[in-house]
Amino acid sequence: MPPDGQTPRGASKPTENVTSLGMASTDEELVARSMGGDLDSFNQLVLRWERPIYALAYRVIGREDDARDVCQETFLRAFRALGGFKGQAKFSSWLYRITLNLCRDWIRRQRRQPVAQAPEGVDLLDLVTETTPTESIEDLVARRELSHAVARAMASLPDEQRTAIILKEYHGLTFQEIADLLDCPLSTVKTRLYQGLTVLRRQLAGAGLSGDSLTRR
Amino acid sequence: MTTNCDSELLVSYLYDDLSGEDVAAFERHLRGCAACREALAGFRGLRSTLSTWTPPQPDFAFEIADSHSPALPPGHARLHAPAHAHPHAHPSWRAWWTPAAGLAAAAVLVLAAASALAHVEIRTGADGFSVRTGWNTSASANAPVPAPALASPSASAGVDLTKYEASVADMQRRLRELEAESHKPVMPSPVRMVSQTGPANHLSDAEILTRVRDLLAQSESRQQRELAIRIAQVVRDVDAQRTADLARIQQGLGRIDAMTTADAAAHRELANYVITSTRQQK
Repeated sequence: MPPDGQTPRGASKPTENVTSLGMASTDEELVARSMGGDLDSFNQLVLRWERPIYALAYRVIGREDDARDVCQETFLRAFRALGGFKGQAKFSSWLYRITLNLCRDWIRRQRRQPVAQAPEGVDLLDLVTETTPTESIEDLVARRELSHAVARAMASLPDEQRTAIILKEYHGLTFQEIADLLDCPLSTVKTRLYQGLTVLRRQLAGAGLSGDSLTRR
Repeated sequence: MTTNCDSELLVSYLYDDLSGEDVAAFERHLRGCAACREALAGFRGLRSTLSTWTPPQPDFAFEIADSHSPALPPGHARLHAPAHAHPHAHPSWRAWWTPAAGLAAAAVLVLAAASALAHVEIRTGADGFSVRTGWNTSASANAPVPAPALASPSASAGVDLTKYEASVADMQRRLRELEAESHKPVMPSPVRMVSQTGPANHLSDAEILTRVRDLLAQSESRQQRELAIRIAQVVRDVDAQRTADLARIQQGLGRIDAMTTADAAAHRELANYVITSTRQQK
């Protein structure tokens, strides 16, 4: 499961789905049934992967509506191209590749800063709905500011470093999976991660957000 | 980091991607390298910071909506977007699921369950219609005598034709009597309630209807009472939550206001100091 808990809707684990008979259907089984024309099976895959795919698109391009469009387009393309899916890679990796290609196209079209700018103001009434019983408004404001600071810092990274960090940090892919997705050597992935993390650390520390203070929150 | 430090190893160690031997070797290096220890601690803190960046949680509910196979050319598949994204689209079943619909469904379920438990069976026969309750399927002494069934071709072989004609004539006579009785305004057709779990009760259909209406009225009033209690409880909960939220907002605003005021005062002092210093220098 991705570290940020992007648990797919309606499934306990990203790669399995518990049916009414208590049997688990893997992605591969659902893909095989989908290729046989079973639409319900494909929709189960949509249900299972829409949140991780949306999260990936949102973090790469930074706009909610566009990320939703990319997410839908990903599944539409996957459905149309399902006949060409040979099963050499995991279904999720295939989806990630489609998503990243769509994000790349979107960034090229937009020719703009890829990650959304954080809003200047903080809406307290909006925040109140997000509070947990043990969290004060100050904590919530701090968490929001922190999240925006991270978004800004991520936006400043080069695309390849940002993508590597997103895939590793938020989607829990292995180094090899990232290398396969990005078509680069394993060592390049690690180097991009190291460089990206170093820049992020420096930027957040410069903004007064050191790791120590953040772990205390 | 020194020139001997390996950034790839550090990243692998950070994400638990080293084998046992490599872990031991890197930890030996860490013990002697303050720069790598510092970098590792910084990256670990950074990872916890990164986890605060969460995407919004939209309501998806889109799905591939037609039954074309994946082999079909592009353009045949389409996505169903969520109902709120397309105001004119048909709402999902959740949109129809209102509390009133839920209560109605619950009432139907209760009635169905009650009738199933009581095993209510309504029969019409030559001597009127009867309502049977209970689970004993054997013939009861109080049960109405069933009307002679129309013999099927296979069963008619052993039946005496004269008996058959007599039974048909008898049935026709009973039907005529029944029709005549049904036209009488005061005398309803006889209704017999047969209970195999208790003594037999002979009730008219008017009494049965009255009882059923009473039961329905009682059930309805009970449900209304329960619904009122639930609504009152929800209203109380919402009010309490709203009051608590408003108090917290007020408290937060007060603190923010105090902080802002203090900051403004500090800035004002600083500005005054700068202006004063500038004037003195001139």
